[in-house]
Amino acid sequence: MNPEELFLVELTVNGTPLSARVPSRRILSDFLRHDLRLTGTHVGCEHGVCGACTILLEGKPVRGCLIFAVSVTGSAVTTVEGLVNNDGSLGIVQRAFHESHGLQCGFCTPGFITTIHAFLKENPHPTEEEAREAIAGNLCRCTGYQNIIKSVMRAAELIDSGVRDDH
Amino acid sequence: MILGCAMTTKSFGEPILRKEDPRLVSGQGRYLDDLGHDALAAAFLRSPHASARILDIDVADALDVPGLIGIYTYEDLEGRVAEPLPLLIPHPALLNGRTGYPLANEYVRHVGEAIVMVIAEDRYVAEDVVDLIKVSYEILKPVVGIENAKAAHNAVHSSVPNNVSAHSVKEVGDARAMIKSAPHKLSLDLFIERSACSPLEGKGVYAIWEEDSQELRLWSSTQTSTGVRAAVAAKLDLPLQKVECIAPDVGGGFGVKIMHPWPEEVLIPWAARKLNRPVKWSEDRREHFISSAHERAQEHHIEVGFDEEGRILGLDVTFFHDNGAYTPYGIIIPLITSTQLLGPYKPASYRVEFTSLFTNTVLVIPYRGAGRPQGVFAMERTVDAIAKYLKLDRTVVRERNFIQPHEMPYDLGLIFQDGRPLEYDSGDFPASMAMLKKMVGWDDFETMRGEYAAQGRKIGIGVACYVEGTGVGPYEGGFVQVETSGRINVATGLTSQGQGHQTVFAQIVADELGVPIDDVFVTTGDTRRFPYAVGTFASRAAVMSGNAIALAARQVRDKALRLAGEALECDPQDLEIVDGIIRVKGDHAKSIALKTVAVLSNPLRYAFDESAKAATQFAVGDTSKPPVPEDQEPGLEGKDYYSPMASTFANGMHAVIIEILPETAEVKILRYVVVHDCGRVINPMIVEGQIHGGVAQGVAGALFERMAYDESGQLQNASFMDFLMPYATEIPTVEAGHLETPSPLNPLGIKGAGEAGVIPGSAVFASAIEDAEGFEIRRMPISPSELWELRRTMKENA
Amino acid sequence: MKIIGSYSLDHSPAAVFAALNDPAVLLQTIPGCQALEQTGSTSYAMTITAGVASIKGTYNGLVELADQNAPHAFTLKASGSGGPGTVQADVRVNLAESAEGCALTYEADAVVGGVIGGVGQRVLSGVSKKTANEFFAAVNRYLGGDRSIAAVVQQSEAGSVSIRKESATRQASSTSSLLVGAVIALAGVLLGWLITQ
Repeated sequence: MNPEELFLVELTVNGTPLSARVPSRRILSDFLRHDLRLTGTHVGCEHGVCGACTILLEGKPVRGCLIFAVSVTGSAVTTVEGLVNNDGSLGIVQRAFHESHGLQCGFCTPGFITTIHAFLKENPHPTEEEAREAIAGNLCRCTGYQNIIKSVMRAAELIDSGVRDDH
Repeated sequence: MILGCAMTTKSFGEPILRKEDPRLVSGQGRYLDDLGHDALAAAFLRSPHASARILDIDVADALDVPGLIGIYTYEDLEGRVAEPLPLLIPHPALLNGRTGYPLANEYVRHVGEAIVMVIAEDRYVAEDVVDLIKVSYEILKPVVGIENAKAAHNAVHSSVPNNVSAHSVKEVGDARAMIKSAPHKLSLDLFIERSACSPLEGKGVYAIWEEDSQELRLWSSTQTSTGVRAAVAAKLDLPLQKVECIAPDVGGGFGVKIMHPWPEEVLIPWAARKLNRPVKWSEDRREHFISSAHERAQEHHIEVGFDEEGRILGLDVTFFHDNGAYTPYGIIIPLITSTQLLGPYKPASYRVEFTSLFTNTVLVIPYRGAGRPQGVFAMERTVDAIAKYLKLDRTVVRERNFIQPHEMPYDLGLIFQDGRPLEYDSGDFPASMAMLKKMVGWDDFETMRGEYAAQGRKIGIGVACYVEGTGVGPYEGGFVQVETSGRINVATGLTSQGQGHQTVFAQIVADELGVPIDDVFVTTGDTRRFPYAVGTFASRAAVMSGNAIALAARQVRDKALRLAGEALECDPQDLEIVDGIIRVKGDHAKSIALKTVAVLSNPLRYAFDESAKAATQFAVGDTSKPPVPEDQEPGLEGKDYYSPMASTFANGMHAVIIEILPETAEVKILRYVVVHDCGRVINPMIVEGQIHGGVAQGVAGALFERMAYDESGQLQNASFMDFLMPYATEIPTVEAGHLETPSPLNPLGIKGAGEAGVIPGSAVFASAIEDAEGFEIRRMPISPSELWELRRTMKENA
Repeated sequence: MKIIGSYSLDHSPAAVFAALNDPAVLLQTIPGCQALEQTGSTSYAMTITAGVASIKGTYNGLVELADQNAPHAFTLKASGSGGPGTVQADVRVNLAESAEGCALTYEADAVVGGVIGGVGQRVLSGVSKKTANEFFAAVNRYLGGDRSIAAVVQQSEAGSVSIRKESATRQASSTSSLLVGAVIALAGVLLGWLITQ
């Protein structure tokens, strides 16, 4: 049996061009985590249901566990690490989670943060119902979602009050 | 007079934001799979059959895969690794405890049992190899479900032909006689189906063997690093000193990760030592479903005798517990069910008999609540049935059976899971109920029901109460150390899975020592930092480690004040510590920094930095005594343990208002109200978060989640697509009220809160659905189609 | 570890035996064998490149004959060591007439140490048998007329025989996930016959 053929995958991740040679079947979440050592994106189910692996592909939230890395070569990807400000301070959604106790174990959190970041770009003034619907594709086992919804509303509040981040 | 002082803000009791967060929200967590990128990977071939004898394992086709390192079966295991896994909690009632082997030894007894371990350069290759290994089996008839286990046409273990692992009878008074002579009697049959913890992060193990020093360092996504360390050292025949175990960031546990050692926790370090290379394994979601653990399946038969007021004269409970294929965790769950079933009530007599049965399904070990949800379901359905029979208000019947506050401490006459008498130390059940009724508008509900009915909408209200023994022993420890930089290090041996320990324990120390919380750094679950511990489970961390850390901090404070007193030449009683500065009360100019005292406490002579230099200003010590007095140690640190006489009992009551849609029988939650008493609260924000999370699991267990085994023992819903874990749209906003009856049993007066939210879940929903529909609800969970069908059947029989 | 196997060749025991006597044949047919040298009256040294999937290496081996019961059976004692580990094996070989030609059976008692010893019994025995079968298949093909490798035979001054591969014209196939012990032992089995000549 021959070793697997490797393909060069080049992505812009969080603004930085990064690349690695991987087999065609390497999934994007594994590529980010193990080939690029960006372990902020987590894997909870590998069948696209839990949302922990959600990253932004050209700004849109997608499940990293359902995509092959080779299929997105040349694209721009944003992970939770990339939502931190350039000066190291927390981005708006991250700060809102902290202030609203929106996380406990933190495993599902990166997937929520990327999802909500993209959501608020589209709808910066959501109602609580809209916020609930927006996060209804991500599983959390610890928080019961109540404080995650609070985090969405808090982030919207921060944006409304003029707070800006680098993303 | 104290002039214009800036007091350190009190921490205890404040909703301090979590110190863990900045790291976790920016993707800088370090969970198990984030470690060891260059380690070898492991994958497992797991049994596809529920009951089988392994005939042959053919690896011929797998040998050529590039990147393969090794393939291991039971025959490769050596020494103690080849022996059965430990039975952690023996008990006299556990007549036929059985445990499995790390890799199956001729027989497999549940789908998912590990048969072959493959080690390869990476996980993809390892899984390729697993796919190429051919195992042939003699398929045996499996035992699935409590009824089949009871009938015992087949046996899970040939040495246990009746499938009974344990049997126990406990009595307080003569319940059967009391029921016989009671004015009224009822009997109920109840059933709860299995569910599972399902943390978002599965299990994982990463091991490094240091050949030069013959030492093992392993990480496991566990709730007990000291437990894993001890078990692995024993299995690998290593001195305890040569093994360290660290729990990294853990993505949820909820009970499943208290079990140890998992086969993988033994096999991965074994492989690392054998191959002299780091090895890592992270399970995938299907593996977690079929080879971790489930909980909740029980079948209850209840006889109850009561008077016209609804007071329970005799309660006779017989139940069957499905313990899966093996019993490594003993019979903790049915023991908890049998004792915590009583809740806040005082029946005049009580009898409980349980039989724990083997089935060819995955292990059963505690899932948040650990047997209490089943017990509460049984008791609360019984109380509701009494109320319905006597046409009394459900809360009134409860109130009439409550243990009253003046009766505390109240001995229920049973032995609890910690081996100590079941004695409630505190709690005000009438006050909890009054608060709950007010918050949910219990007395106005009929009006609300009428309003909805006028719109053609059907609603119902449910109530359920529970008592929870928390802070179970044997002990936990705390270590507090002041570094010369002013940094305070705190360590405790138990672990964290999101409970905010790095924050709440820092709050305790900040208050005890008078230092800014930003200077306090807490480590949990690392045997290198604190090697004596039990683990995180049974809502015990705050009670156990919180108190131990407080005691350790007080030691540090006492020593600091004594040394400061010597340096400032004054009485320690006149000193206070504010913001890390020790100063004379009323004369703040006379002061010395805590960090300077740390330097003084270790009379090294060397001024290695500025704070060390500052220490040289103070001439301390009596020249007629040695620099480090006989009963003292160098350094400004303290270590202490908290070991309780008994568990301390928290309690709570939940109410839910639901609407049931007429066409689809879907249950919509209109309001969910919680009244909760966990004694003094360290961080109310964190306690509320725990309640929210617990309630979500209670809702899930009542309406959505179950393990669907078919008659061949195949788990049909081993993925998130079919195991219905709720999203945000299924979980209500929780309204929580707090009562505080401090625990008299520990210095901080606290009780546990971790499991509270989930315990009455099935009970409160059954209560509400029955109230809405008018017919009995005796089985949970209940799906819309099941409710619809039940409705139809009831209508037909009416 | 016990490894038991058999192989059916299409030629008579005498023909098989003659082929196995030829060092040039052995060099072509022993999987991974790079060089062969007689070191004593009943011993040979050889160099073999072998491995189990990712654990590859070059091994130096010694083979000694014992307990001969010509022409039906004999025992071979082999030992080898290399980067990935060490092997010691005693192999009992039997040759018998059969309808197809020659029925060869072997029974090996092997002790494997070092890293390669850590790969698990099923891998070790699986690879051994695979190697043995490859070897016998190659001998069978050779006897059928296949002569695809050249070898250079050198006669040293002392009259002992040393052989090396002229060039790597035949790459060890990817199925040379080979167990050293089996290779050495089995090559030794056949080398043993050189001495009896």
